[in-house]
Amino acid sequence: MTLLRIGGITKRFGGLEANKGIEFDVEQGTIIGLIGPNGAGKTTLFNCVTGFYAPDDGKVVFDELDITGWPPHRVCRAGIARTFQTVRPFAQMTVLENVMVGGLLRHRQTAASRTAAMEVLEFTGLASRQSMFAKNLTIADKKRMEVARALATGPRLLMLDEAMAGLTPKETQEAVDLILRLRARGVTILLVEHVMEVVMPISHRIVVLDYGQKIAEGPPQEIANDERVIQAYLGGRYRAPS
Amino acid sequence: MLQQIPQVVLSGLLNGFIYALVAVGLTLIYGVMDIVNFAHGEFLMLSMYVVFWLYTLVHLDPIFSLPISVLVLFIVGALTHKLVVRRVLKAPMSAQIFATFGLMVFLQSAAQFLWSPNYRLIKEPLLSGRISLLGLSLGKPQLVAAVGALLATGFVYWFIERTETGRALQAVAEDQEAASLMGINSDRIFTLAWGIAAACVGVAGALLANYYYIFPTVGTVFVLMAFVTVALGGFGSVPGALIAGVIMGVVETLAGLLISPAYKQVVVFALYMVVVLVRPQGLLGEW
Amino acid sequence: MEQTQVRRPPRALSPQRLVLFVFMFAALAYPWVFRLPFQRRLMVVVLLYAMLGQAWNILGGYTGQVSLGHAVFFGIGAYTSTLLHLKLGVTPWIGLPAAGLVAALVSQFVGYPCFRLKGHYFVIATIVLAQIVQALFTNWDWAGGALGLRLPLLPESLLNFQFFSTKLPYYYISLALLAIVLAVTYLLEGSKAGYYFRAIKEDPDAARSLGVDITSYKMLAMAISAFFTGVGGAFYAQFVLYIDPESVLAFKTSVLIMLIAVVGGIGTLWGPVLGAFILIPLSEFTRVALGGAGRALDLVVYGILITLVAVFEPRGLWALGERIKALVARR
Repeated sequence: MTLLRIGGITKRFGGLEANKGIEFDVEQGTIIGLIGPNGAGKTTLFNCVTGFYAPDDGKVVFDELDITGWPPHRVCRAGIARTFQTVRPFAQMTVLENVMVGGLLRHRQTAASRTAAMEVLEFTGLASRQSMFAKNLTIADKKRMEVARALATGPRLLMLDEAMAGLTPKETQEAVDLILRLRARGVTILLVEHVMEVVMPISHRIVVLDYGQKIAEGPPQEIANDERVIQAYLGGRYRAPS
Repeated sequence: MLQQIPQVVLSGLLNGFIYALVAVGLTLIYGVMDIVNFAHGEFLMLSMYVVFWLYTLVHLDPIFSLPISVLVLFIVGALTHKLVVRRVLKAPMSAQIFATFGLMVFLQSAAQFLWSPNYRLIKEPLLSGRISLLGLSLGKPQLVAAVGALLATGFVYWFIERTETGRALQAVAEDQEAASLMGINSDRIFTLAWGIAAACVGVAGALLANYYYIFPTVGTVFVLMAFVTVALGGFGSVPGALIAGVIMGVVETLAGLLISPAYKQVVVFALYMVVVLVRPQGLLGEW
Repeated sequence: MEQTQVRRPPRALSPQRLVLFVFMFAALAYPWVFRLPFQRRLMVVVLLYAMLGQAWNILGGYTGQVSLGHAVFFGIGAYTSTLLHLKLGVTPWIGLPAAGLVAALVSQFVGYPCFRLKGHYFVIATIVLAQIVQALFTNWDWAGGALGLRLPLLPESLLNFQFFSTKLPYYYISLALLAIVLAVTYLLEGSKAGYYFRAIKEDPDAARSLGVDITSYKMLAMAISAFFTGVGGAFYAQFVLYIDPESVLAFKTSVLIMLIAVVGGIGTLWGPVLGAFILIPLSEFTRVALGGAGRALDLVVYGILITLVAVFEPRGLWALGERIKALVARR
């Protein structure tokens, strides 16, 4: 079943077209990797889907609901949660409080939200850091906390914007594990990533953007050997790890 | 009433250049470092008192004390950055607001404490009297002030756009990190920006002192107009400040004539609200 | 789930509770120990400004929307109860909550345009709107214009909200108002709205991404803040019995309200109380020591204080106290 349909999204900034008629579907329960060189329009697309930008053209349909141009908080309520490329913790709040803010979307009472938040912290392996101030976390933990916070809103689709950029190999592996466990929980995942090596092995499908346009879409193996992708994006540097 | 319009528009225009010059100082600091200087009006007040005391104590006419005022204000601005602003650059925005805001309260009340709340006037400046021009009557000091303000605004624009240092200023405004990689010392640039910004009101204050009352809260009158001017013109834009300043001056005097003097500021402020709501980045600003 | 952090049920006499009880007792006993009218009057002003500072704090401190136009709500509150009384003969006891409601209503009209602006544009918009309101009242003859309004002297009674022979009732009313605002703030802190307020302050975009309707919650913070500021304005009018645009709507009122919270500690329950206890007596004593108004030495000190706070401890003196406490505890 199609959970998210991105239908011909176009977004212009002045004369610049950051997204040009981008179109693809996200099936329920899959992990989709969205890749492309810097400035390809990945984050712009994220912002169009999650309501931070209003697309100039095209439709965003989530679970058969047209959510085009909805404000971010309604998109989140509909069941799409996201993280940010540059981490945006609530710095002066504790880790638990950060996650509770997410939890409060589905729980009116703070006590109920706290219970839910604790469960998410356990799941994401942050329980031991719960009373630390968010500003004091390592980058890896901040990113993890953002995932936890998003997860606490009870999303059906989780959109991760470069959740693994800047992490050590060990931290990256932990992040990958977390993503796989998330999917096992039934959460559909749309993954923007700059580092292709991480996306390829865990994604069911890959969408490649370049200069604001979709230039390829398919299973990882196919994408890795796609001449256009190699030319446009990889410049021939990358070969499939097989 | 209608035949008064050209006269009123003209005097609004003259005021507008002063608003523009005051606003240029604000917009410069905002453009370079994203900080609003709430004490800017008090800098103007200080400059007027510098001129006033030089006149009262050593009988120096405002025309001649202008360079001294500019120099003093440059130092005041630079010191403000060195002692206060530099320490809150990384602090949350609220702390930045409070820092310059405290300075405003301090300077204003210190002036009141030291020099009393009395209204002062420079009684016999060299510049006085009126001249006629195309059937319109103009105060000489007002005319000189407007021309001086326009020249000073032009100078700042030239400095930013055409000199090496000005380009360094722009580089820092654009991207502080990149600028530091290019070997630009951003702290020195910030100090300079504060110096120039304060020097702008050093000019404006000295020019105003020829014909305007001098009192501790005089800065508030102008700085509120300057805030609106800056927001209208767009934070960080010098040409924007000039255009907006002129618009503000003319709208203010026209509203005074056509509606009621009591409502002239209301009209200007209402204009501000409309502009920022329709075009939040101001006329020429980048958001 | 063992690590779940649950607020432990407070023991009957934890140290915090003990301190709180001591303060409550001191607050209740104060006017019986200090019987001089000026001592009681001073404390009424302190309590009033503590309340106003905390009301500002809900919007400016917890939610991070720095308003420099709170005189609008203070003034509108003062004018509402006064006009209701003068024109319709409504008792101040109804005037007080009515003032709050009108201020809260006005706040929604102020908030709508202002909250569409970010950062400095927002701050300046609050100043500008306050200037507009002041100019309107100054030129509004029905509401007394620039001359202001004087409340008629009525026989002293609780019903009339006027007391002359003793300031005692004013004292307990202001204490009660402060207690109510503190209680509301305390409840907000632990509520969904309180968490959302703080999230909006820390990072509005992140908050939006987590389903927080930031405009509605800012409006809510504004309404609560304006309500109590308006009630404070009405109390002020009853206390002084004379209001004019210069005394209740001017920029300096906005500044003082903000200062109380900022110097004491924004985003904290007790910060504004601390701020009022420092700033108001300071202002009174410098005035007395120097004789006569207009010298503004209190403001000189305020100015230095607020700059120092901004530079060295933006979270205010309350946070400074906590830092010292932590240092002592480490020893």
